[in-house]
Amino acid sequence: MRWGMVIDLKRCIGCYGCQLACKAEHGTPPGVYYARVLKDEQGQYPTVSNISLPVLCNHCEDAPCIEACPTGASFKWEDDGIVDIDHDLCVGCRSCMMACPYTNRYFNDQPAHYHQQGATPYEAARTAHHQSNVVMKCNFCRDRVRSGKPPACVANCPTVARIFGDLDDPTSEVSRLIKERGGFTLHPELGTGPSVYYLPA
Amino acid sequence: MTEISAKYEQLVQDLRRDFRPQREWGEGRGLFLVIGHFLVGVAAGAWLFGLIFNYGPGLVAGFILAGGGGIAHLAFLGRPERFWKMVRHVRTAWISRGFIGLTLFLAGAVLYLPPLVLADWPWAANSALGYLGWGMAAAGMVVLIVYMGFVYTASKGIPFWNSPLHPVLYMAYALRGGIAALLVTMALFDAPSPSAASLVTIWIAVTAIVIVLFALEIQGALTGGNPAARRSVREMLAGRMAVYFYGGTLLIGLVVPLALLSGQIAPFGVGVLAAIGLFSALGDFFMKYTTIRAGIYLPLRPRQLRHR
Ligand code: SF4
Ligand code: SF4
Repeated sequence: MRWGMVIDLKRCIGCYGCQLACKAEHGTPPGVYYARVLKDEQGQYPTVSNISLPVLCNHCEDAPCIEACPTGASFKWEDDGIVDIDHDLCVGCRSCMMACPYTNRYFNDQPAHYHQQGATPYEAARTAHHQSNVVMKCNFCRDRVRSGKPPACVANCPTVARIFGDLDDPTSEVSRLIKERGGFTLHPELGTGPSVYYLPA
Repeated sequence: MTEISAKYEQLVQDLRRDFRPQREWGEGRGLFLVIGHFLVGVAAGAWLFGLIFNYGPGLVAGFILAGGGGIAHLAFLGRPERFWKMVRHVRTAWISRGFIGLTLFLAGAVLYLPPLVLADWPWAANSALGYLGWGMAAAGMVVLIVYMGFVYTASKGIPFWNSPLHPVLYMAYALRGGIAALLVTMALFDAPSPSAASLVTIWIAVTAIVIVLFALEIQGALTGGNPAARRSVREMLAGRMAVYFYGGTLLIGLVVPLALLSGQIAPFGVGVLAAIGLFSALGDFFMKYTTIRAGIYLPLRPRQLRHR
């Protein structure tokens, strides 16, 4: 099986719900965004519209970050295609950040909190397993997915713009949407085979 | 504003840009990576020319520079205590290959050099151990000369580095750096060797090759149709990096050595040779620095979204 995500740009209202849900789920420190929303304007006054593009690790089939990683810290789970990082192996060389064409990796260079007085009890619990001076990125909430729940960004999207499923199953909702609505990936010319698809706005 | 919050603000600003500059390699502690890459390249070149011209002090210089390069790399790593884990992914990662090359080089030099420069060493340079060291160091040297450009070419996120010319250019830098190291070493030992004239001739030839390769790379980036690569060239020639490029790479690394070489500034001698080597090496450092710092990530927003 190969987990994948479809993001419907017609439904996305750019509310940053996914970005916040992800931060709450993983307790990512300031400057680390597993999920984020890019905003852009298009057209000319008076016919201007806003466009939102939520981005996250694409869990590429042929991931350049894995190839570039000298320690094997960046790896792919064979059973579900999720690209992950073993933080105990990471040396913080950041070559994966240079290799990722989607800029979805972040270097967590020192413990940092959102509040001057330090970590709140919630943050402390969420960040207990974090390591500093290593690279971090989205892992499709693998722990949640293995316990039968969707990733936090999917579960918290108020417009149901994110759909999660098995790309290897032609009958799954993600496969159907990609086929019927002309799903596309970012930078397909690079041949990385992203597992995150977008449906046109 | 604390250092952490300044870095955070910078990142947030960068994430909003279409053309996001890479900052991890080359800024802050990232400077150690540039120093490491520079020193290791020069070390491998110095070893090569030390062998070709049978010049012991050049080999010693190569060894010391490689050691310094290794330390600089460690200083860059987020988790230097785990450095040995970099050996694990040699099948695909150029950094792993470089790490193995550096280890081979240093270990080989430790076997080969002492009997060459010290009297009464337990084994001779032409013993089995000496030959083993020679072979290991030579293999390591080849890897060090070759691997570095590929580290950049493998960086798919930075189109400017993604050029097939990059590895050849870095090989040429290693050769130019090696000659520079030997010229400086000769002055330190106050002994112009008969090979000095040949070294200068090779320096001129390699410098010409570097100029041609660099011009081709810039031309390729400008005409290749990738906006991020074009933006990198702009950063280098007319943006953030321009002062380092014109002042460091062109003036210090090219104009001054050529002026010295012409004999217009000072009468030719060991000191002038050393100055040529020193300025040439400094220029190469700035070249690497500007190339790394001019790295711009591929824009994330697809064109069909922007212009729909
Ligand atoms: S999006 Fe980047 S980090 Fe994620 S798998 Fe692809 S190359 Fe790796
Ligand atoms: S920073 Fe860590 S995960 Fe990234 S390439 Fe280096 S060792 Fe691998």
